[in-house]
Amino acid sequence: MSVEYEAVIGLETHIQLNTITKIFCSCKTDSWEDAPNTNICPVCTGLPGVLPVLNEKVVEKAVLLAAAMHADVQPLSFFDRKNYFYPDLPKGYQISQYDQSLAKGGYLDLPVPASADADGKGYIRKVRIHKLHIEEDAGKTKKEKNRRFVDFNRCGVPLVEMVTEPDLRSADEAGQYLIRLRQLLRWLGISEGDMEKGNLRCDANVSIREKGSSVLNTKTEIKNVNSIDAVKDAIRKEIERQIKEVEKGNTIKPWTLDWDDNAGVLRMMRSKETEADYRYFHEPDLLPLEVSEDWKKEILKDLPELPLERRARLMKEMQIPEYDADILTGDRDLADYFEEAVKLYKGDAKKISNWLMNDVLRMRNDLGISMAEMKLTPAYLASLVHLTDEGKINITTAKNLLSKIQESGKDPLTLVVELGLAVVSDDAAIRTVCEKIVAQNPNEVQSFKDGKESLIGWFVGQVMREMRGKADPKLTQKILKELLVK
Amino acid sequence: MMTDLTALSALELAELVRTRQVSAEEVLDANLAGIEKVDGRPGTLGADLSPEDANGVHAFITHTNDTARRQARDVDAKIAKGEDVGLLPGVPFTVKDIFCVRGTPSTAASRILANFVAPYTATPVARMNAAGGVMLGKVNLDEFTFGSSSESSAFQPSPRNPWDLSRVPGGSSGGNVAAVAAEEGALSLGTDTAGSIRQPAAFCGVVGMKPTYGRVSRYGLIAFGSSLDCPGPIARNVKDAALMLQVIAGADKADATTAVKPVPDYLQDIEKGVRGMRIGLSPDYFRITFPDPESGEYVEQPLPQEISDAVYKAAELYKAMGAEIIEDVPMPNTRFGIPVYFVISRVEAASNLHRFDGVKYGYRTKEAVRDLTEMYRRSRGEGFGLQPKLRILMGMYVSAAQYSEQYYQRALKVRTLIRRDFEQAFDPNGKYKLDALLTPTTPTPAFEMAAVYGDSVMMQYADQLTVPANHAGVPGISIPAGFSEGGLPIGIQLLGADFNEATLLRIARSYEMATEQEDWRKKKPAILEGK
Amino acid sequence: MKNKDDLISQDVFDHLVDLAAFKLADDEKDYLHEQMNHQLDAIRELEAIPLPEELPVTTHGVEYGKDGKPALRKDEWTACENTKEILNQAPDLEDNYIVVPDIPTTELE
Repeated sequence: MSVEYEAVIGLETHIQLNTITKIFCSCKTDSWEDAPNTNICPVCTGLPGVLPVLNEKVVEKAVLLAAAMHADVQPLSFFDRKNYFYPDLPKGYQISQYDQSLAKGGYLDLPVPASADADGKGYIRKVRIHKLHIEEDAGKTKKEKNRRFVDFNRCGVPLVEMVTEPDLRSADEAGQYLIRLRQLLRWLGISEGDMEKGNLRCDANVSIREKGSSVLNTKTEIKNVNSIDAVKDAIRKEIERQIKEVEKGNTIKPWTLDWDDNAGVLRMMRSKETEADYRYFHEPDLLPLEVSEDWKKEILKDLPELPLERRARLMKEMQIPEYDADILTGDRDLADYFEEAVKLYKGDAKKISNWLMNDVLRMRNDLGISMAEMKLTPAYLASLVHLTDEGKINITTAKNLLSKIQESGKDPLTLVVELGLAVVSDDAAIRTVCEKIVAQNPNEVQSFKDGKESLIGWFVGQVMREMRGKADPKLTQKILKELLVK
Repeated sequence: MMTDLTALSALELAELVRTRQVSAEEVLDANLAGIEKVDGRPGTLGADLSPEDANGVHAFITHTNDTARRQARDVDAKIAKGEDVGLLPGVPFTVKDIFCVRGTPSTAASRILANFVAPYTATPVARMNAAGGVMLGKVNLDEFTFGSSSESSAFQPSPRNPWDLSRVPGGSSGGNVAAVAAEEGALSLGTDTAGSIRQPAAFCGVVGMKPTYGRVSRYGLIAFGSSLDCPGPIARNVKDAALMLQVIAGADKADATTAVKPVPDYLQDIEKGVRGMRIGLSPDYFRITFPDPESGEYVEQPLPQEISDAVYKAAELYKAMGAEIIEDVPMPNTRFGIPVYFVISRVEAASNLHRFDGVKYGYRTKEAVRDLTEMYRRSRGEGFGLQPKLRILMGMYVSAAQYSEQYYQRALKVRTLIRRDFEQAFDPNGKYKLDALLTPTTPTPAFEMAAVYGDSVMMQYADQLTVPANHAGVPGISIPAGFSEGGLPIGIQLLGADFNEATLLRIARSYEMATEQEDWRKKKPAILEGK
Repeated sequence: MKNKDDLISQDVFDHLVDLAAFKLADDEKDYLHEQMNHQLDAIRELEAIPLPEELPVTTHGVEYGKDGKPALRKDEWTACENTKEILNQAPDLEDNYIVVPDIPTTELE
């Protein structure tokens, strides 16, 4: 009988906070497309004699994240120096937090959708947070021939390092965790969360064990993965490799593996020695960080309802299907937009959801703007749906109106009047057109009279075309029938 | 101009310049001429010593005559236009070469920074300049401040004691005190990590103050022990030290460990005497404890009579002036100051010196290297002298994961005990309610050059009476209190409560006033005779 | 009398030299090793000090008090205007990059 294995995965994420300036100096954080070594100063290049001064926004954003992860924000925490030599680390130590960091504990109740569940049902995975602290980013180096080129622009960009317990059980779960984390970061407005740009970075610790066992076997660490798909691919590959090794009777060694995304292969970097001696000690250049109750309260005043909570609420209170709820809580603007529109509409929330998901989102994506920038406000959408409900305009007109509202910024009712789009329910007007159509098409009239009654649809279509869709369809049909049976 | 401008105090010079009786440039010229006479050649990397070198003070590493002249002319121009010139118009000063000053070599007296030209200026130096001070140059020190004699500088010849050129000026602010004592500038900016201002001040018969930790910004001070380092003033009298502290003290946005407490007017009450003040004496400051180099056993030794006598005499004077002398104040953890220092300062130093790796600035090996690791090893191996190497290795050892609990964490706890000694002594509601603790500054007067240099432990024990204040963060001042039988200056030290510099300066000034007429006050270093 | 086991062994010393990234001459090694053992004697005194339970550590001696602690920095950008001056201190600069020899990799297999 063959053994069934399960993977044991922990993720170590580095999250760049989107503050304006770096964590310990007044240089700007965003160096995207800037020339090397231009966003630097004496402090972030580690000149002799310089001192770090902590950016308060870094603390605020980290506290928001900690609270959102249900971690306990500590009233007193310490910065520590992690000492090692590397050319991208100008001080020869990284200012980080070690044993008394900003937050303790925390977890994420990760919904694993049916599509990522082998049993096709979907479930919740509780992912506990092992460590959450603030630290500074290092610079970048690139290799050319036998030399390294060092750029300090990234030195001192604020990071939150967040490490999960080994609670994830598959590559798909790891992918879901990163999707949810990215969503949360954007939702809270604390990081762009873009893995391709390195705002969100992830190392994965992977081991396997017999299913049902609770032992933790030797793990490998996968580095250099810079997209969610790559994380999933790399983990999947590594699980397969480990299973193969174990089945061959080999042992797993604690390697550090480098993911080559182009080749889709893992490469071994070096054997992982006993943990390097970083000689951590409290950073004497910074006083202990105090986060008072008052300050914490002030920061958390801005903590919104979290995406997963909101998703659950939409499903429960508004009877929105899971699929819709997922999309509608994809970002905070959209969720806010949706709820505002539902509130103003006062009717079936699913109807608003349909409009949003089928039409409004497509328009927004085509325009490449955010929900908050839409001229088609939630109020306008609500009023537009109302107009269709009341039969004042038909669906086709309404769909065409969406882009007109977005272009003009005018409310739907005004546009309906201005453009004369209202449904015509005037008997005389419709009758005139119907008579004209009947007169112009004697062959079809004959066919109808001969029993081909399905032609009534064709006649209605002709009238609609003539009246540019504004004719009340029910009334049109009634008049046509009268004329045709004469 | 008949007055010897180099001998005047900073307060006098500032007044003369401000009232246009003398120009800043005249003051500068007089000082440059004086330096020319007494200093000899500046410390130079890799220089061979010549017998000639025994005749100079050698306070300097870098003379900054051109910028000094620019600063002096600027001050004169401002005065001519009736603009505000601050507290130090035209006052010449020197800066320990451990501070970064933009556009000048900032060497830390080390080969590894010999070619480093700082792109920014340290806050205390910037404040001196903004107050109208004129910087004469950068003065010599122990390499990275690691020493008590200034002999470990990579820039030789190292400074000598102006009172006796065969002796050390002390250290690490040896160049500073030698310059001030030899009338090469009225003021000097030093640093004190274990006594590096107070010990050399005592050795050279000048006033040196270590302010409260956090009172003066460390921004631009090339760090040694970051939780201990304090920039502070060195001057020939107490009022000048007060004046300089006035200029450099206060919160700095660039140093997150500076206190935001307001800076009082240090000169306002400085001559109001000590009546009603409580000044303490502690038996723990009248002996030193050190390990016998042979057996390793601890030996307790009383201080030389002449050192103790200087302190007792000061106590008598204070009593006569109306102070209450409180004897037998227990400071039982004083003896742990050195071992605690051996741990904390080394851990911090090893980390602070990580950045000198040949990558971004300073020395990079000229040898062809295989790879980055070899570049690091050669650059650091060739760039650092023995004292930094020793401190780095020791710091690595005591902070290594397996020893950190045993040494570093323990040292931080013993530091708490040392701090508590001071808290109890100065507690306004406690048993002793001291305004200041009066102690000797050093166990001995200045020693001969090369006498203890090389023995890192004995060298360090010279700091036993000064280092507790660095652990506790409290302020301390050393003032001249006469001479030893051998004709060497002796210093006494006053230690006070956090941010109580004003009280210390006032008590120190009272001693000066009480001894103003004594013969020893008229003595000047021989090297200044016939200048 | 000193116990040999109390001293810093050659292995530990070599490891520290490695951690510190020093290339040392033999006479330097001898001096440094000897001085370290000498200093260790002094440090050992700490082990004998009786410490009360729950004694807190002191990282900075001075008490800042409630009002003495400086505020954190506001998130406001000030560009450094002399970045060139910083870079010009580098021993090897090329196209605005600081250049160092390559980093050794010990690729197995």
